[in-house]
Amino acid sequence: MEGFYKFLSNNSIFIVTFIVLIVWAGVFFYLNSIDKRIRQIEKENKGERNEK
Amino acid sequence: MIWKTFLFLLLCFVSIAGISFPIVENPVHWYQYPMIKGLEENAKIIFFHVPTAWLTVVAFFMSTVYSIQYLRKKNLDDDAKSYTAAQLGIIFCILATVTGAIWAKFAWGSYWSWDPRQTSIFALLLIYGAWFALRSSIESEEKRASLSSVYSIIAFLTVPFFIFIMPRIMLGLHPGAESIEDGKVVQSASPVVDFKMNGNMLLIFFLSLIAFTILYFWMWRVGYKSLIYRDKILKQSSRG
Repeated sequence: MEGFYKFLSNNSIFIVTFIVLIVWAGVFFYLNSIDKRIRQIEKENKGERNEK
Repeated sequence: MIWKTFLFLLLCFVSIAGISFPIVENPVHWYQYPMIKGLEENAKIIFFHVPTAWLTVVAFFMSTVYSIQYLRKKNLDDDAKSYTAAQLGIIFCILATVTGAIWAKFAWGSYWSWDPRQTSIFALLLIYGAWFALRSSIESEEKRASLSSVYSIIAFLTVPFFIFIMPRIMLGLHPGAESIEDGKVVQSASPVVDFKMNGNMLLIFFLSLIAFTILYFWMWRVGYKSLIYRDKILKQSSRG
């Protein structure tokens, strides 16, 4: 474990990479959830139009 | 959706490769980048700074195209598309400015030095910032859409000048600008313009451009659809 910490303290760029990946995953899943919601609203809207 | 998985994996790869691959004097393995004189470790920001600047131009261009479309057909959906593109354009413009300033801190010594490139992007931010002020000050939908369309077209006329022409014809620090060597004004031999990157670096650079462009189009689609449906739902609820 200590070796791992030593490796990270010498190669802190991997910590940066890890944080960037977490941020990107957050952006991706947030966008995906909005996309899903919009598609749902789109479907509801089409359904209402067909009922009329 | 296959393309979403593709985008997710592509940007993960670009982030890992762009940040953590080492820069060495003489690259032997495929995952090593060459040392570019004058840039050294800073070179890695190319993978993130250039795509944001590229998307700024794409977004402002799309905003203008949909503004023209709106003026021709008077369809409010086109106004929503133009507005979303400009919103994303200004977000990417701010990102390009911030990443550029960080790069400048390590390459030129200070975050901001009023280099022609920095001055021109600052002017661009002000021009498009004023566009949002204009939009928020008009209540009538049609009037807002037509006025902001006209403003958007005029604002875009300045983009080629500020992004492509001015930083190239003036003395500056940014790659591509003119500089003085041996008492003569010359076009600086810049690593970005000359592409002194090796094959792998170029590949990751273009992958990054592709990934960011797909991400932009996705954000744009989500953005304009949510605007259109918000307006629709608001109109329905005010009627009924």
